Amino acid sequence: MLLHILNRSPLDSRVPEQALISMGPDDRLLLIEDGVQGALPALAVHFDGLEGRLFALREDLASRGLLSRCDKRVRLVDVADFVTLTEEAERTVSWY
Amino acid sequence: MASAEIYRYLSLDNTSIPLDPEGYLIDLGDWTPEVAKALAAEEGIRLEDEHWEVIEVLRDFYARFEQSPAMRPLVKAVGQALGPDKGRSIHLMRLFPSSPAKLGARIAGLPKPANCL
Amino acid sequence: MSEQDMPGGELLVILRHAPHGSSWLREGLDAALVAAAFERRVSLLFMGEGVTALLDGQQAGALEQKGTAPTLAMLEMYDIDALLVEDEAMRRLGLGEDDLMLPVRRVGGEAIPGLLAAHQLVLNF
Repeated sequence: MLLHILNRSPLDSRVPEQALISMGPDDRLLLIEDGVQGALPALAVHFDGLEGRLFALREDLASRGLLSRCDKRVRLVDVADFVTLTEEAERTVSWY
Repeated sequence: MASAEIYRYLSLDNTSIPLDPEGYLIDLGDWTPEVAKALAAEEGIRLEDEHWEVIEVLRDFYARFEQSPAMRPLVKAVGQALGPDKGRSIHLMRLFPSSPAKLGARIAGLPKPANCL
Repeated sequence: MSEQDMPGGELLVILRHAPHGSSWLREGLDAALVAAAFERRVSLLFMGEGVTALLDGQQAGALEQKGTAPTLAMLEMYDIDALLVEDEAMRRLGLGEDDLMLPVRRVGGEAIPGLLAAHQLVLNF
């Protein structure tokens, strides 16, 4: 299982699409930085099919006023959880 | 990329050829066989036919790819040009001791190879 | 490409940026060359705009900046011969293999996750 880390929004970039086609069936996706925009319900549709494997960094959501607006399918993680996710994965791949 | 910093000069007949801190030519256009001999002499190497044919391979590599080769591609390029007996690191180590890619590039008037330590 | 002949290896470098516009492509190629110089088995995957790095007929930049085409031509000297190209990117750009300067293997989207899984390290540029 690989952990894919994405810091670009589906609204302005095709990078999320590149991350998605590169993901295996058990791989996880973590949204960070501008990538957390993808946690908004209107944009989370881009990540259909990742239920349970889609994460977003709580601190980056909070700083952008997006925490209470987050789609229910997105699992929130803090920086400590981020470390755990990294440890659970065989490797990480960053998409930026 | 030639470093722009002139550190010292190689004296040759009536001219002075600027070198960078590691002894590579500042201006690659300064290279002549005489310059090669003088650079080699600094390293205690007297250039023989077997050196010159490798220098030619190095300069041809740079002309084609715009970079000096690391050891692995240098071995391959020498093998392709001069045959498998010479395309071996032991042969190159004998001609340009300790670091053939770096020393060879210096004497051949090329920039220091980027991808080797 | 079938599962069987999917290249594995120690390093997969993904190149997603076009030449000249940024330094990402050059940095990715440098990473691949360093690894290959140290005898690592390296594969390259060109995705998205990165596919345009392979176009033939490239030149130096308007201000004489060196292009990346000579570096791509040099890859075989470093024994980097697994050049993989995202099929979908070729289609979107309207390009065919005749447009490319080197022989490549095209990979469909369904093969890409396996490619990432088959390498010990993935670097994304």
